[in-house]
Amino acid sequence: MSKTKAYIKGVKVSERHGAGDWIAERLSSLILVPLTIWGLWSAASLSGGGYDGALAWFSSWLNSGLLIVTLLVSIWHMNMGLTVIVDDYIHKPASRTLILGAIGLLCLLLAAASVFFIVRLALGSAPLPAGFGA
Amino acid sequence: MSSVSNDPANQDVEGDQSGRLIPQPNGRPRPLSPHLQVWRWHVTMLASILNRISGGALSVGALLVGLWLLALAFGPDAYATFVSLAGSPLGLLVWFGLSAALFYHLAGGIRHLIWDAGSGLTPKSANTLSTLSIVFGVVATLAFWAFLFASGRVTL
Repeated sequence: MSKTKAYIKGVKVSERHGAGDWIAERLSSLILVPLTIWGLWSAASLSGGGYDGALAWFSSWLNSGLLIVTLLVSIWHMNMGLTVIVDDYIHKPASRTLILGAIGLLCLLLAAASVFFIVRLALGSAPLPAGFGA
Repeated sequence: MSSVSNDPANQDVEGDQSGRLIPQPNGRPRPLSPHLQVWRWHVTMLASILNRISGGALSVGALLVGLWLLALAFGPDAYATFVSLAGSPLGLLVWFGLSAALFYHLAGGIRHLIWDAGSGLTPKSANTLSTLSIVFGVVATLAFWAFLFASGRVTL
């Protein structure tokens, strides 16, 4: 690691990764504030619209792109939040590693699947599974 | 009480009847922090607990959003099945709860960002911010669903 400042504006800088975790939690929260409001507004405009309404919504790359960003930042934020909860309540190191691994895997799977589905919907691909690769 | 018997390092976890001690990895007993039930309830405490519970609920909500995307990607028939479940009274109750969790977690998150910026940390303003976030969660959720029903987007 390159030499970093020990103090910024008279405040001690973390020597290891502590501040990184803290900053990541706040940064994701800050990004999610406007995205959550947009998400709630989108949910309201999508509800009752049916299949065709949803497809029309996804055909806009602004909607699809913002949803991808919202979900990826949310899953990142969710992974950090669940990690803190597990750290607080699961004390056995082996169990903690196992649970955190399972949560991480689930988050990755959810992120990958969500992006895959959204991109297909934005492109107007044929319904799965018949349209796989279309 | 003498200071010697009061020192947790001199007490044996095995012989401890109070349940206050826990052995550390180095074998020395340490006192546990007091359990939830000995604390007087504060609104800041309630707000903090609700923030954690709502965050946990929203993790389930994220999975349901993933399921929604899956149903959409699998076409009209799969989507009709999803909507019949999500739009059932029980399904709507789940979405109602999730929307409440989201509105509250949003307000709670903003509250934490204000605190992290170093503002609102006196007991009085911390209490006010906590109460405000809970009130916002309730009011915004009710307004959201009133709009959904009034505009005919959601029907029972």
